[in-house]
Amino acid sequence: MNKTLLGYVPKESPIYFIHPFVKLYFLLVVSLFPMFITQPEVNLFIMAVILLLMIWSRVDLRILRIYVPVAIAMGWIILLSYTVLGGTHPEFELLAKVLGIKIYWERLRDGVVVYCRILPMIATMVFFLTTSRERDVIVAMRSVRIPFVVTYVFAMALRSSGMVLEDFQIVRQAEQARGFDTTGKSLGYKIRKYVMYMIPLFALSLRRTEEFTNALVARGYAFTGEAAKVKRADYILTHYSFKLHDGILVALISILFIIILTLRYGYNAFSLDSSLLINWLYQILR
Amino acid sequence: MSEMTAEQIWTVQAGEKRSVGVIHIVTLALLIGIGFVVGAFGSISFPLGFGVNFFWTGIAVQQVGSIWFGMWGVLAGIIFPFFSNAVAGTPFYVSAAYIPANFVQAFLPAWAFRYFKADPRLKSGRDYLILFLTMIVSSAFGALWSPLVVLRSFGLLTTESVPLFIWGWFGGNVIAGLVFNFILLKALSAVVIRTTAFVKQWWA
Repeated sequence: MNKTLLGYVPKESPIYFIHPFVKLYFLLVVSLFPMFITQPEVNLFIMAVILLLMIWSRVDLRILRIYVPVAIAMGWIILLSYTVLGGTHPEFELLAKVLGIKIYWERLRDGVVVYCRILPMIATMVFFLTTSRERDVIVAMRSVRIPFVVTYVFAMALRSSGMVLEDFQIVRQAEQARGFDTTGKSLGYKIRKYVMYMIPLFALSLRRTEEFTNALVARGYAFTGEAAKVKRADYILTHYSFKLHDGILVALISILFIIILTLRYGYNAFSLDSSLLINWLYQILR
Repeated sequence: MSEMTAEQIWTVQAGEKRSVGVIHIVTLALLIGIGFVVGAFGSISFPLGFGVNFFWTGIAVQQVGSIWFGMWGVLAGIIFPFFSNAVAGTPFYVSAAYIPANFVQAFLPAWAFRYFKADPRLKSGRDYLILFLTMIVSSAFGALWSPLVVLRSFGLLTTESVPLFIWGWFGGNVIAGLVFNFILLKALSAVVIRTTAFVKQWWA
């Protein structure tokens, strides 16, 4: 497993044979699928497929522990939003009354629908973060001819966030060496004292701005004017070629999206009335 | 050397040449980098859900960065939440829909300081007031846009739970802004305004 700025990626994986653009395309298009699907079971199926893709990609599933609290927190917030904060609705079917809080079937159903919609969207993002190295994102951007300056800024931003993290550790150790210790202190105190990290972090970043600029200017880089018009060798792209299987995958993702849109708007598919999970849940809770 | 007045800080002097340079591109990249790290801290440590936090430290980079570096700071303020939200598990399209909120939160303080010729070193009560009011107004816009437009249109919230998210967003930004913005501007502005990276107008 290798650590990247965005997450952890496997050392070796069959997914590395797929062009990085396909992974970016997967993130951008498959994230849209749940927006057009109301049936929770279909959205859960999409999530299961993404989990299978992670296993196939040899992603260490222990990484998912980082995202479990996020998924649970979102679940709780949606549940609270649709039950405790759901309001009074005489037009809805009352399932139960707990401590004066009215739990309606329609609210609970909508909460389940929304949560099952958000889960595959999170899974798609996590799949991307756990299978893409920083370099992959840059290659994907260069492949679609995003201007050099944009790609360069992106690469520099990733590099600088790595440096900020390093700086943060240095600043923290320096503060500790001077006797600064927040152990046992209140959250409010810790938040106030976080300023002690922010000012040196900003100051170091400002100094780095000058260093970076001097290094770039010394190497003849320019983002405007005549020098910027010089055609640059895309060295990184020489290591990646868009193969037939990449084209097939892009076509498959696109076709799948078109099918979903056609089923949704042409045949009124994925509606709640025909949802097996919702009907089953209704039978249980009634 | 005499100290610059607030008027002089924002006015291009006779004979002074200002143009977009490599340093501004580098500044943009570094602001995205620092915003990513600082913003992710807030997103992971104090989450309310869907990228909304009780204490969003990224606001400091958005607002202080845009006051110092103009549109480069505004651009960074729009871009870095994509990264900081992503690592906290916020779906890509929810982050994309937050763009107008992030734009206003970064743009308004930068505009107000330039329009009213406020001193970024916070020398007078007027400077403090301008910063405070822009923090309130821009965060209020963000707080209304995000839960009412974004989260409601994605169907993530009920009407009754929207106030919780509005106050969560507003409070999370304003409290973090109160903690960091004033101190950062007070401590570092005197240095920043003398660097070539400082942006007097919008781009240079």
